[in-house]
Amino acid sequence: MRRTILIVGFLIVCIGCFAQESEQAVFEQPVIVTSAGQSPGALQLTVVAKMAKIEHTFEKLLDADQFETETYKTLIIVVGASGKGLGAAGVEIDAELQRVLLLAQKAKEYGTKVIVGNLEGESRRGSSSDEILLVLAPYADALFAKVDANQDDLFTKISEERSIPLKLFEKTVDLVVVLNEFFVK
Amino acid sequence: MKKILATLLCVLFLVGIGFSVITMEVGKLLASNSGIVAAGNPYASAAGAEILEKGGNAIDAAIAVSLALGVVEPYASGIGGEGYAVASFNGERIAVDFRSSAPALASVENAEALGLTTSDLRSGPLSICTPGVLAGIIELWLHGGSLPFAELIAPAIRLASEGFVVNNTFASTCGSSYDVLMENAPGFLKDGLFAWETGDIATNPELAETYRYLAENGPQAFYKGELADKISDLIESKEGFLRKTDLENYRALVKEPLHGTYRGYDLFVPSIPVGGPYLIETLNILEHFNLSAFSWDDPLVMNIINQALTFAMIDLLSYSGDPEYVYVPVETLITKDYAKTRFMNIDLNEALNSELYYTDYLGRPDLFENSDSYIEAMLAGAGVIELEPSAAGVGEDTTHFAVIDKDGNAVAWTQTLSSFFGSKVYLDGFFINNEMGNFTLDDTSRGLVPGKRPVTTICPTIIEKDGKVVYLVGTPGGYYIQSTITNVIVDLIDFGMTLDEAQMKPKIIGSPNYPEFRMETGYPENTRLFLEEIMGHSVREFDFPYRSFGSLNLIQVQPDGLMIGIGAFRREGGASAPEY
Repeated sequence: MRRTILIVGFLIVCIGCFAQESEQAVFEQPVIVTSAGQSPGALQLTVVAKMAKIEHTFEKLLDADQFETETYKTLIIVVGASGKGLGAAGVEIDAELQRVLLLAQKAKEYGTKVIVGNLEGESRRGSSSDEILLVLAPYADALFAKVDANQDDLFTKISEERSIPLKLFEKTVDLVVVLNEFFVK
Repeated sequence: MKKILATLLCVLFLVGIGFSVITMEVGKLLASNSGIVAAGNPYASAAGAEILEKGGNAIDAAIAVSLALGVVEPYASGIGGEGYAVASFNGERIAVDFRSSAPALASVENAEALGLTTSDLRSGPLSICTPGVLAGIIELWLHGGSLPFAELIAPAIRLASEGFVVNNTFASTCGSSYDVLMENAPGFLKDGLFAWETGDIATNPELAETYRYLAENGPQAFYKGELADKISDLIESKEGFLRKTDLENYRALVKEPLHGTYRGYDLFVPSIPVGGPYLIETLNILEHFNLSAFSWDDPLVMNIINQALTFAMIDLLSYSGDPEYVYVPVETLITKDYAKTRFMNIDLNEALNSELYYTDYLGRPDLFENSDSYIEAMLAGAGVIELEPSAAGVGEDTTHFAVIDKDGNAVAWTQTLSSFFGSKVYLDGFFINNEMGNFTLDDTSRGLVPGKRPVTTICPTIIEKDGKVVYLVGTPGGYYIQSTITNVIVDLIDFGMTLDEAQMKPKIIGSPNYPEFRMETGYPENTRLFLEEIMGHSVREFDFPYRSFGSLNLIQVQPDGLMIGIGAFRREGGASAPEY
């Protein structure tokens, strides 16, 4: 009886740890950061990454051919559609969407983890940004979003449907804590 | 102990009352008998109201607002920028042209020698023209200022040093330009690292220091003192054209405003090289139509307004320029007879053919050289001529405000850096303009010449009836400015809308730069269908409220003397009034 109780207790603890691990994914460095939509959010993310001492590279127009999956353990895609940014890059929104989709697919194929996030808040929750987010959602291993970008609980719903962690934050500087929680040091 | 407590309470009470102006939230009307300020940011309008409460007049308050806007809307205007103001003061009307001017080294020859194209002149140090805001402030103050300049700049110094709460407009504007700010002006960013976010308390200690310097040395120190040296040295080091001599030689110009009429109202607007003549022309065309017989959302009315605006804008693009350098037939363009020739071009049945804008639809003010009558002018000038329109861009990122004091003195004031953050060159807390992009590199009326002022569309407007100010109107918006102002004037005068109704109603655009029919959503579905299917317009809708369609900071004076103001809701403006 005592042995049974011990075994059951041990199994409960193991299951509990496993459950916690699946809610709190852990990501490895080095990281490659790209934009999905060419808003300046991805550039701000690099500032945060530097503060969090995350080893990273930034390529705002990274494509699947350039993506060295053997080098980078994690891909962070910052979603934010910007007409100005797309225009400056000479890219149409459809091509941008295709680019990041192929990146996400390649990451999945080669086992690179993917974090998809919103950094700039409500201002990057237009129809184009949302379209990009929903295309990337099936490939995300974790999400982050500014609180005011999640007023309709879109990020929460994706997180729950896919059983992946979602980190919400108030101010951009709070992302330092988020990245420190995500990444193995 | 009791004495100490009593003293402390008295001190707290005195500090607490301070200047207790009333500020109305975005999109709400404010009424007052003591004067009103309507500006693109509530802090700026409160600064103006504070000055009114201290006993300052409309010119004093307007100067305070201008300087405060440089703190709380630093991306849209500031001492590195330019503008135009129209004032009705002590029974006299003036227009102060403090538009920027091309530096002495900025010529087509020098640009060609450097291998520059017009796109090189749109951003960066080469895009900088000699700023005019402080020179404009000097002229206005000389005309009617009653309080010392140091008092007028004090609210702005306080905002810059003690801080203000960042609103959505500030945050989104900063955020969308984060990459260029990080590269060119990291000192402007929060902690030098991040875009400012809604709810942050933003300070600008560098600008506070610059403003303190100006408070101590006077606004002329911008053009002659050590600040002028710093500006010159910085731009020269970055291979821009501006030098200290340009600053020393710069003057704001005091002129008479242009006068037009619309349905019994008198309009006072700035003349060339900005948008006033073309607003008068548009309204002269519209005066031929009984618009009030229709509803505001009737497609027939919208088509007429769209076409009238298009014809006036064709004329702006064909016939505008700095009058010191170019002859522009302004006196003809603003006549009722000239408007009749444009009235004849209006097609009530269908959209204009955009291929004919600069041929069949080209205005012919030249035909009026020997005649005032449109009949004689048109008989004299048979045949079609063709003109190449100016290709220069017009920055749309600007700000407008309006002030009226308890005595009915009024100022309508538009100021800008041209684009948001101007040239992106940042010095001592302020951005410097990029007006050079409004020139062309040729010898046309908009061609670059040293000392010349570039053509833009800004149009601060005072509307009077029987000699009394009734409306103060103006807006940012580049090529949308004429349309937005026309929309609101028609809505106020023809459709009898209240100030908030006119401000918040969806707007339409008419311009040859946009062959499609641009309109905000909010019109009936059948209106859009009629424009498309019956009239052949290619309609492009923008989700209401769309920022480019105007940030109108408006003031009205009712017949009983009650003043009403409203801040722009598209850009979180505010109206303030002194509390007494």
